[in-house]
Amino acid sequence: MAGLVPPGPTTVPAGESKKAEEKTDFMNLPCPIPFEELHREALMSLKPEAFEGLRFDFTKGLNQKFSLSHSVYMGPTEIPSQSAETIKIPTAHYEFGANFIDPNLMLIGRVLTDGRLNARVKWDLTDNLTVKANAQLSNEPHMSHGIVNFDYKGKDYRSQFQMGNAALFGASYIQSVTRHLSLGGEVFWAGQHRKSGIGYAARYETDKMVATGQVASTGVVALSYVQKVSEKVSLASDFMYNYITRDVTSSVGYDYILRQCRLRGKIDSNGCAAAYLEERLNMGLNFILSAEIDHRKKDYKFGFGLTVG
Amino acid sequence: MADNLISLDRLKAFWHSQVHHEQTRAHNMKLLRAAGLFAGSILLMRNYGDLMAI
Repeated sequence: MAGLVPPGPTTVPAGESKKAEEKTDFMNLPCPIPFEELHREALMSLKPEAFEGLRFDFTKGLNQKFSLSHSVYMGPTEIPSQSAETIKIPTAHYEFGANFIDPNLMLIGRVLTDGRLNARVKWDLTDNLTVKANAQLSNEPHMSHGIVNFDYKGKDYRSQFQMGNAALFGASYIQSVTRHLSLGGEVFWAGQHRKSGIGYAARYETDKMVATGQVASTGVVALSYVQKVSEKVSLASDFMYNYITRDVTSSVGYDYILRQCRLRGKIDSNGCAAAYLEERLNMGLNFILSAEIDHRKKDYKFGFGLTVG
Repeated sequence: MADNLISLDRLKAFWHSQVHHEQTRAHNMKLLRAAGLFAGSILLMRNYGDLMAI
């Protein structure tokens, strides 16, 4: 009789009771991520900066806020061709960069040997208001572009207004609807081309996964799913369909973030397999390997590089 | 009765245009392959993703 325990009141495991008690406080929802970063987890895993040829980047910090960078690139560049065959021409360029990074202000400038200039500004005017500007200037006529964004972060929403050259205007808004779900929309008007568009997006995020979907009047339907298997491992999948150009691509990939290296790989429905490895050889010294094999087009790209600083 | 026959004919015509027409069949196969890869990968990730953990 000593071994028998009388049945007590119905006991619920502690975790389940906490979940049952957690009610969504709709007045206290988290702030969603910016609209343009909706697919960021999938993009980070599936779209690393693959390159072909040699790449060398050297960053020298002059003080805590200011640094200079030198980049050398040598490799073939693909040029658009009428036929299905890929045409590549060998190119080489040197890029000089200056970076000023402050908690409230970030200024980045890059100038290339072919005369192109890239400039980026990010200025936190207040805790909630940020101004971002981006410019690409070129010697060639009508090839220079500039765009300014005004981002406002609310309690459980974010909004953005953007203006660009060629009479480009755009606005986006994203709102947290529940603790896990956020919905948003965007509109744009390109004055020079007399085109306008509207799009809608949704993002569902939990501790274990992120699922996003986006539809736009430009014909794009983009879906993505990322499974956070552990702190070091993510698996991602995305689906992109353009119902106007009738183009469809789906890709599946993995992202392993280890102590000494980061390895990303993917395969897509067009028969293209790619991998990207960043290995930390020493403090401030990174070795990069990039590979992409397109079985359909019989196009093979291999790149290697070194990053210092 | 006549309405049903008309819509059935339209369905058959649609089916033929999507399956037996060379160009649309190629596009549909591409779409099916991509959608299958996406959906299949999500199922595999959700059910067997933990096997990839280190």
